[in-house]
Amino acid sequence: MSSDSGKPGSRRDFLKLAATAAAVGPFFLFPARAKAQKKTLKTLKIAKWAHFVPEHDAWFESVLAKEWGRQHDTEVIVDRIPVEEISARASAEAAARRGHDLFMFPWPPAEYRRQVIDHAEIYQAVSFRHGNVDRLGHKSTFDPQTKKYFAFADSWMPAPLLYFEDYWRAVNMPLGPLHYGSLRSGGQRIRAKLGIPCGLALAPSLESNVTLHTLLHAFGSAVVDAGGDVVLNRGARTVAALQYVKALYQDAGAPEQLSWGPAGNVRAMLGRKTSCTTNAISLLRAAEKENPEIAKKIRLSPPLLGSAGVRAIPHVTNCSAVWSFAENGEGAKQFLSDLIDRSKDVYETSQGCNFPIFQKTVPDLIVRLEKDPRGDPPYKYKELKDALHWTANLGFPGYANPVAMEAFNSFVIPRMFMSAVTGKLSPQDAARSAEAEVKRIAEKWRQAA
Amino acid sequence: MKDKNNPAPSGAVVFALGALLLLLLIAPFSRLSAQSQPATSNGFLNFPEFNPPPFDFNDAFYTENGIDVSVLDTPGAARFGLFRQTGPPARDGQVNWVVDHSNNDPDRNDIRILATTGGYIDDGTGAPTQFISILAFLLDQSFFTGVANARGIQMADIISHFEAYAAPRQVDSHGVFAGTACGSMGDGSTPCFPVTSVATPTLRQDWRFAANRNPIDGSAPFGYFCDDTLGAWIITYFWYTSTGFGPHQTSQCHQMLAALGNKNGLTLDGSPIIKTADELNFLEGTVVGSNPIPGFLGTNPPDPPCTAEGQEDVGGADGGAVWLICPALPDPRNGAVAQDAFLDQVRKPSGLPIDLGITANFLCLKFFGAFCNELSPAQQAAARSAGQ
Repeated sequence: MSSDSGKPGSRRDFLKLAATAAAVGPFFLFPARAKAQKKTLKTLKIAKWAHFVPEHDAWFESVLAKEWGRQHDTEVIVDRIPVEEISARASAEAAARRGHDLFMFPWPPAEYRRQVIDHAEIYQAVSFRHGNVDRLGHKSTFDPQTKKYFAFADSWMPAPLLYFEDYWRAVNMPLGPLHYGSLRSGGQRIRAKLGIPCGLALAPSLESNVTLHTLLHAFGSAVVDAGGDVVLNRGARTVAALQYVKALYQDAGAPEQLSWGPAGNVRAMLGRKTSCTTNAISLLRAAEKENPEIAKKIRLSPPLLGSAGVRAIPHVTNCSAVWSFAENGEGAKQFLSDLIDRSKDVYETSQGCNFPIFQKTVPDLIVRLEKDPRGDPPYKYKELKDALHWTANLGFPGYANPVAMEAFNSFVIPRMFMSAVTGKLSPQDAARSAEAEVKRIAEKWRQAA
Repeated sequence: MKDKNNPAPSGAVVFALGALLLLLLIAPFSRLSAQSQPATSNGFLNFPEFNPPPFDFNDAFYTENGIDVSVLDTPGAARFGLFRQTGPPARDGQVNWVVDHSNNDPDRNDIRILATTGGYIDDGTGAPTQFISILAFLLDQSFFTGVANARGIQMADIISHFEAYAAPRQVDSHGVFAGTACGSMGDGSTPCFPVTSVATPTLRQDWRFAANRNPIDGSAPFGYFCDDTLGAWIITYFWYTSTGFGPHQTSQCHQMLAALGNKNGLTLDGSPIIKTADELNFLEGTVVGSNPIPGFLGTNPPDPPCTAEGQEDVGGADGGAVWLICPALPDPRNGAVAQDAFLDQVRKPSGLPIDLGITANFLCLKFFGAFCNELSPAQQAAARSAGQ
């Protein structure tokens, strides 16, 4: 029997109302934000690293930010910042204690843990709707010393190996090199046979940072250990990695690698001037857009097997920090919380580059990877289906701590490799010098604590 | 509950010698089919059999899993059923495989494997409890069709997560030690040791198999017994470097290897047996948390390293096997090691095994259907009695 229209709300009506309210959202309002919502128009200033897929930024600014602003009576201002300028801009804002409300980094901003809020309440709010943060997000944004989250991670990009199938087929490796030994021996034969070098990024840049940290971990080394102690030159693995890269460069590399700027490896791949590289799949997306014939020849594979197994760090860990001096901190927190509701859109507009930190938000990720609408063949991207298993956070085997991240942002690892590859230092001296530099960073942070 | 992964119990050597004697006593009568063996009056062989012995996969299954059977059936792959019925690992009077129509697994054929290769489990204990059947060798990527399996995964990607650690001999017949591998794995110096074969007579110690890797503990995206449907491995060769062993050994390596040799025993080269991942990684110069070599003071790994590891060129340039199709017995107990199976393990020139723990477990599995440390007091008493 249906309920009478004039009757006071029954339990069923209440549940319907609640369900409707839940469906239209927002699901969670930070208390101060709720109070402020009906007052004057506010402003939310966001600094965002410039995405490798420009369509994503266009969507972020003209759709996401505008929609969110309308819903929350807020003018959202998004400033797009080139990746290579992120550190300087963030540092300047932290020093001046003034700038944007929300700063979106392509890596964990552990160095700013004293200038940001504890982001635990955002994770908590999101967990009600989408479950807990995953291992990668947690270890990228949690500070075990203070027990606070210095940032909020919403998505990340895997860093697979990309290689030209036809080049590697020419040396009987159509499935790619699979391990570091074959990268060198196969790369050597490709260069000898076809005149095409192997193009790992070496000169300081985001790409070389990711490539060489990945290689370092695959060789069983790390910048800091799980306890945060500097272990870069403890043992012999860093020297082994340095000797390997030096030999790889000599056997299969090219001088231009040493002068590549940001995205130099991407341009080399798009020009078919290198046989392989490590990068986000944005490289392949650019090829699909600019030259489908080239894209067709590019294949993906998981990171190469090293003595410590198959392991990589993310190309990007999208970590957002709300400054403690933010003028609209409540709005920033709300924005981040609501951003997770749009993870599917983030995945779509980034053309599959941004994998969700909250797995449930893109539940059909595997299916999408198996049937990519732009991929040729469409199953090309399924090599990424286990990316979360082989991807470790920056700061591995520990957390992304200030020492590891300052070392990352000051390009200690790429500079160490460059000095060995160019012969400026022996591998042993390069490792010693880099470790001394990281130890100085560690000492600085120890004193600051 | 007893742990099947634990090494043989104390007194294992004494027990193993007894078991060896037992083998000699029983061997002439042990050609019975694994499916039809009777119980004997003294309790031997009286165990339930529910694990099948190993058979080769059939062609359809290889194809479904991305292997090109036309390449697999060539002499280089040395697939059981077509090649290698005699010769290593089989010794005089033995055969590596037989035709047996008792198979009822639709993914397998009628080639039953008798050669049972023993090795160390990769769970950190170094226990001699892993047993596999080396069905074929994959020499380069032409063995893969490039077609993903039914789950959309390239078999080569799966296999790369499962390493079988092979230890080639480094001391040649003239007693000359080679501290690097020949081919792409090596540093180009000489002398170098060949990596064109992993036949048992070319090894200095027994294998270690990383069958324990799985996605649950994060050690791999795949599980060996779940996803590696062919039970295949990528071969990781490991060796002592020129500063790790031989005339140019550093004092640091000398000290560490002496301690490890006391713990694990020695290979055919006279170098220490390496049983666990931590031991190898530590000697390679990796920080592994705690020192895995008891008796050696200090936690820093050696620098320069005492050992190294590598894999063959996946294009086949090194001339040896890159991968092995050699499924581990999921549970070697209760019939999986048949009565006519024989143990493939590294032996001294005298014929005695270098690790009697592997021998003991094989015999326990063969005659009692259980690991040695799982035997009942009555079985142990029977074994002791038979050994006297």
